[in-house]
Amino acid sequence: MSETTARVIVVEDEPQIRRFVCDALRRETCVAIEAATARQGLDEAAGGKADLVILDLGLPDMNGIDFIRDLRSWSPVPILILSARSAERDKIAALDTGADDYLAKPFGVGELLARVRALLRRHWHGDAKPVHQFGEVEVDLSRRIVSRCGAEIHLTQIEYRLLAVMLANSGKVLTHRHLIHEVWGPGHADRGHYLRIYVGRLRQKLETDPTQPQHILTETGVGYRFQS
Amino acid sequence: MDTALPSSWRRARYVVAAVLCLLTMLGTLPLRELLDLANIVMIFLLTVFVAAVWLGRGPAVMAAFLAVALFDFFFVPPHLSFAVADGQYLVTFAVMLAVGLITSHLGALLSERTTEAQSREHETRALYQLARDLGGALTVGQVADITQHFLATVDMEGTVLVADTQREIASFHEYGGHHLNDLEQGFARSAYERRTIVETDTLAGMGVAIVFLPLVAPAHVLGVLALAPRTDDVDHVRSLRPLLEAVASLLAITLERLHYAEAAQSSELQVSAERLRTSILSSLSHDLRTPLTSLVGLADTLVQRQPPLDEGAIETAGIIRDQAHAMHHLMSNLLEMARLQAGAVTLNKEWQPFDEVVGSSARLLTGLLAHRKLEIGLSRNLPLVHFDAVLLERVLCNLLENAAKYSPPEARIQVIAGTREEWLEVSIGNDGPGFPAARIDHVFDPFARGEREPAVAGTGLGLAICKAIIEAHGGTIVAENRPGGACVRFTLPLGTPPAMEEEATP
Repeated sequence: MSETTARVIVVEDEPQIRRFVCDALRRETCVAIEAATARQGLDEAAGGKADLVILDLGLPDMNGIDFIRDLRSWSPVPILILSARSAERDKIAALDTGADDYLAKPFGVGELLARVRALLRRHWHGDAKPVHQFGEVEVDLSRRIVSRCGAEIHLTQIEYRLLAVMLANSGKVLTHRHLIHEVWGPGHADRGHYLRIYVGRLRQKLETDPTQPQHILTETGVGYRFQS
Repeated sequence: MDTALPSSWRRARYVVAAVLCLLTMLGTLPLRELLDLANIVMIFLLTVFVAAVWLGRGPAVMAAFLAVALFDFFFVPPHLSFAVADGQYLVTFAVMLAVGLITSHLGALLSERTTEAQSREHETRALYQLARDLGGALTVGQVADITQHFLATVDMEGTVLVADTQREIASFHEYGGHHLNDLEQGFARSAYERRTIVETDTLAGMGVAIVFLPLVAPAHVLGVLALAPRTDDVDHVRSLRPLLEAVASLLAITLERLHYAEAAQSSELQVSAERLRTSILSSLSHDLRTPLTSLVGLADTLVQRQPPLDEGAIETAGIIRDQAHAMHHLMSNLLEMARLQAGAVTLNKEWQPFDEVVGSSARLLTGLLAHRKLEIGLSRNLPLVHFDAVLLERVLCNLLENAAKYSPPEARIQVIAGTREEWLEVSIGNDGPGFPAARIDHVFDPFARGEREPAVAGTGLGLAICKAIIEAHGGTIVAENRPGGACVRFTLPLGTPPAMEEEATP
């Protein structure tokens, strides 16, 4: 975190987890602010400028979804969710409410810091650059040109729109519902299979090994994540 | 209803009718000189009418003839002789007899109707009472008691036979005092199977059931009501037939109600038991995961500590972290198996390409598969398949993990998928020693391990979980040895994927 010192609020009721998360953040030169309850977390977020909120979904005093809704009503700060691996439904609800990413418990310090860095980078710089590069692929959004190893690749309109949405949210988990809404518009919630087929076609065109994708990643049961 | 009357009274009525006629004769004899003969005829006709209303048709007819005879003998000159002086009296006799017969018929009809109406009303009231009692019954035993009590009032003994729907051949649970012998069982079965009333008059009065009424509910036949009359009067039994049929249909409705009430109650119990199980499992999962998360994170903190710890300490911390991960893995498997066995898993099926879960499983196992040769062979244009991605990812992870654990580090691991007829066929194999031949049939049993003293860590739940998940999807899974390694093959039904409009190419 070279540019400035990031202020990260850690909302977690379990003191041992809170401790190692804050320790790791402080080693990354972040300012870690500890909150044991949702109330305290919201107060801290309201009190000073926060760059990231790390939130445990199973808080005793408030439903995690309500916390996100409350926070999102007045702040665009990135939210990283900590949740149990098996609770897909909770994760989807949290992401659809406005959370940016999630981490399944138990997680290692390395994974945690990678997510934190990615979210802070997005928060500070955004993804609004015209040219994206990943693997052998270069996408020029201003000229609508996609090329692989220098050769131009033809994408259909929907494929291009899907790719653009993913690039704009690089590193972030996008739920199926969110992607369908962005690409096909509202009222197409039944198009889950369309989304999956188009993601498959994009992988065929852009990934080196489409069966083991390195950039358009599946978050099983939740959605997709683009990783450059 | 003559049949309902005791036979002694039936005979006595004729005597009474005769006595009535004689009394009329004796009463009018002293008035023979005072009254006109026409009036005396009237008095006799009145007597016949009274006999008809009070005593019934037979005695009335007898009274009509007797009245004519007495009138002729005592009142028509010459007295005390059947001889008739004046031929006109023959007309009087004929008219008197005709009027007597007609009145006796009408009177008897009237009283028969009255009796019949009364008995109908009595029957209806009894049936109503029965229906009310059955409405309050809570068990089949109570139903049988109430029915028996009712049947006792019509001189019958009843046994309620409730069919055991679990078995294919009709067999019954008996409720009631009378135990059926083999012959009766046979009749009951035939009534049950053919849905018709079975009657065996020849056995009447031997204390065995002779009428078998099927208990037919709207949906199916529930059982049989077997009736043993206490008398040998077959006509009596036959006359009760409409009543008995009404009893049978009341019984059928009651048994049906009890059946549904029981089903509703047991499903309610099941739902609450399931809810309890699910909530125990999820709180257990949360309570176990929390300390493991701390353990992994804190051990990781030690590994990455600045300034670094000495090498031995870092190694130890790393082992603690890896063991905590392993423990989490075991715990997840145990909880997953418990959830699957408890039936607490609802499939969240969606139409999706199968390659997607192959890719995501391989990525989840990056650490384990990093230096392995993983060959993925998926036929091009695999159709969409309807499955729960999270659970299928679990199956693939377990199978890939097994394939990696039970083979030497340089061995190949293969994932092959294609379609055959109505199925998606997937096989995951490795180059290695294969499954021990003796235990290959039991690898899917929970807690079964390939070897007795395993050198590789695991619960032995991995394959059992795979089997449970695949079977929940309507597929099959088998383990086999092929030349040079082991292979697990599973299938998923293909079905018909939803239609898709292609976008117009610009």
